[in-house]
Amino acid sequence: MPLLPNQRKVRKWLSRLQLPDWRTLAQQLNFSRKLTLKVPVSDIIQQFDKIPAADPRLNIADCRFVVIDIETTGLNAKTDYIVSIGWVVIQAQEIVLANAKHHLIATPVSVGQSAVFHGVHDHHLTSARDLSEVLSEFLSDFAGAVFVAHHANIEQQFITVACQRLFGKAPKLRFVDTMALEWQRLQQHGKVVKNQDLQLNACLQRHHLPTSQQHHALADAYSCALLLLCQLKQSRDPNLQLADLYKMAKM
Amino acid sequence: MSEISEVSKFLAHTTPFNQLPAAQISRLTRHFTVYYYQAQELVPAETNRLLIVRTGVFSLYSDQQQLLAKLQEGDFYGYQRLLTELGDHDQLRCEEDGLVYWLDQQSFHQLRHQFKNFDIFFQRLFSRRLHQYQEQQHNNRFTLKIDDIIHHRKVTIAPEQNVQTAAALMTEQRVSSLLVEEQDKLVGIVTDRDLRSRVLAKDLPASTQVCQIMTRQPHHIDRHAYLFEAVQLMSRHNIHHLPVMDNNVSCSMITATDIIRAQQDHPVYLIGQIHRQQTVDGLEQCSLQIKTLAIVMGKQQVPAAEASHILTTLTDALTQRLIQLAQIKLGNAPCVFSWLAFGSQARMDQSLNADQDNALLLEKEPVAEIADYFQALAEFVCQGLARCGVKLCPGNIMASNDELRLSLKGWSTRFARWIGTPTPAALLNASIYFDLRVIEGSRGLFNALQQDILARTVNNDLFLLHMAHTALERTAPLGFFKNFILEPDGHHKQGLDLKKRGISLLTDIVRVYALSAGITQINTRARLQQLAKLQLIETKQMQNLLDAFDVLSQLRFDKHVHELQQDHDVTNLLDPAHLSGLQRHQLKDCFNVINAAQQSLRYRFCREL
Repeated sequence: MPLLPNQRKVRKWLSRLQLPDWRTLAQQLNFSRKLTLKVPVSDIIQQFDKIPAADPRLNIADCRFVVIDIETTGLNAKTDYIVSIGWVVIQAQEIVLANAKHHLIATPVSVGQSAVFHGVHDHHLTSARDLSEVLSEFLSDFAGAVFVAHHANIEQQFITVACQRLFGKAPKLRFVDTMALEWQRLQQHGKVVKNQDLQLNACLQRHHLPTSQQHHALADAYSCALLLLCQLKQSRDPNLQLADLYKMAKM
Repeated sequence: MSEISEVSKFLAHTTPFNQLPAAQISRLTRHFTVYYYQAQELVPAETNRLLIVRTGVFSLYSDQQQLLAKLQEGDFYGYQRLLTELGDHDQLRCEEDGLVYWLDQQSFHQLRHQFKNFDIFFQRLFSRRLHQYQEQQHNNRFTLKIDDIIHHRKVTIAPEQNVQTAAALMTEQRVSSLLVEEQDKLVGIVTDRDLRSRVLAKDLPASTQVCQIMTRQPHHIDRHAYLFEAVQLMSRHNIHHLPVMDNNVSCSMITATDIIRAQQDHPVYLIGQIHRQQTVDGLEQCSLQIKTLAIVMGKQQVPAAEASHILTTLTDALTQRLIQLAQIKLGNAPCVFSWLAFGSQARMDQSLNADQDNALLLEKEPVAEIADYFQALAEFVCQGLARCGVKLCPGNIMASNDELRLSLKGWSTRFARWIGTPTPAALLNASIYFDLRVIEGSRGLFNALQQDILARTVNNDLFLLHMAHTALERTAPLGFFKNFILEPDGHHKQGLDLKKRGISLLTDIVRVYALSAGITQINTRARLQQLAKLQLIETKQMQNLLDAFDVLSQLRFDKHVHELQQDHDVTNLLDPAHLSGLQRHQLKDCFNVINAAQQSLRYRFCREL
């Protein structure tokens, strides 16, 4: 059906503004409405905080880990957006692929240049989900689990900011950082550690682990989980406790 | 959407998962879990799951702590328990840190029910038999059977009919040959060539009875046989017509022309052509076609054993024709002789890169003009063979070597020395001489030598002990995929030597048994079958060794054909990276079979005397 002249004008105007189509626009409106309404501390965070965090005295083999990776439009949690989230679960030291998840997140703006890195283009985002939905699912499923990420600062900051915006309050999340573990290990071996040595793929190669497509949230979460399994075994301590792991992961 | 591509990609390249549809693999990944093993860690035996090695090395030990196998990328464990619900006492230990995938019991059984190939793969893996299932045939042109190309039309004549009637019948029916039948029983064949050379040329009358000029008890073939078997039969006997049998009753005739029509590119006449050549130049031209023939055989999936047989037949024909040409040039031989072949030509499993191993056995002592004559003949034949692509032997095991033109007494003395006072070094060089076959000349002379040798070897414990030791000198590589048994070939290439590390080990083992039992067969497959018939080895072991031999020969033949096609040098060095998952499994099974056979050889022949 041909567009009416003023419809065409609106489209042109929208594209000049680098704004996405009406669907994303609508989502953005919805999103900002939530912001302005200042939703009270939602049930999600309450429920999450009610369940005690994993006991630091737990043996590593008994811990439930959730390894998470997010792809974003940039590095600033305040101004950039989450584009996709992937996570895998480790139980009894086995990565359970049945619980692996990957979600594309609807962003209020075009993913633009960042698509070069994570390969998520605007046209993929039609199957995208609302960030609040995904985070609700994540928080209710993994309350009490041990959170893991590679260079965990990014994940921690973006989730914290997003939760504050969406639910009015951030959950208490404590992360084990595989990058910090790797840094410690290399330090102990008396090696001069350069930044690129700590990149996820460099770590995988060092441990002879299979590498895969980078900057895909699920692939990276899986890679990070492999790295953690390997790091746990290489501690050579069968009685390793969660508290020891937190200590080892301090940079 | 939530599939880990690293895992699905790996499965898509791993037999038997690579036989599953892509969508199935994608769903399947969700049933896996992933675990990291550290060196020295034991894999729990009581697990009801399938283990797939992703990285690292794992060693499988028997309950007597004997190393059974090394498992590496793409190998499996736990299927035994899943298939039988019985535990075994094997123990799997991690050697080098590595990742494994676990697949739960339910998914495993579901895949078995859903995909036949998947089930067959693990059943075969379990029975430790060589799983030789072919990846699906895409082109059945390669497996044509006799039945597929013949017309079910039999044109027969009675033996007491005259040749004129036969000729009339052939003209009327437009055929080039007739089945001769008596009371519905095949008694012979008559071809238009017979009418020409056995009737007309001999000036026999038209009233001559068919039975007088027919070929009696002709070679024949079953209608359900493969086409290449007919090709092989024809080329081995240099014939062009084969009666086709259905339950021992003739039903048709297949001719070389039929075969050429069916397989346009099969030069079935090559041997005949060789025998018609009048010059070495002509033979050299003929020999150029061997390359094409090999490529065609490769394409048509002629089994390597048959292909080697055909290649050997061609070398035999070249040798025979060269000897005849030499006699035309040098005059008739001053005494009876036998031209001998050793090694692979003797065993009829010649490969495309074989070199010459031959010698002369003479009726009389090589002195004076006898010596001169045979020196000239040997020089002519060996150089001629070299021009025809059969390389000169770098070890100088050739009739052109003065040391290798001996009388029966000379050879007998030499064998007696090897057999009577064996030293490991001497035997290592001599083992090739113990596979020998007559190519041209006197068969009687050769038989005398063979009987003489066998009489010395049978039940000669000391000699057999040393032969067995020589055969055990090299072992098959258990874990060659980790690069530690790859050997250089002098051209800075590395690889697994299929001959040295595989085929030779097998032929060495089989030779010891054959010599101990006085078996006259020389071909490795024939020796094995004979040994089993005489109950000198178990049928099951025979079958395993046959399978291993076939797999290794096939790998080598396919590799050689590929190299020919690419115009590369033909070598026995295999780059493990070029193997498919199935081939890797087969190769490992072969090595396990060889190891087991070496164990029994040691037990049988190397006990304290």
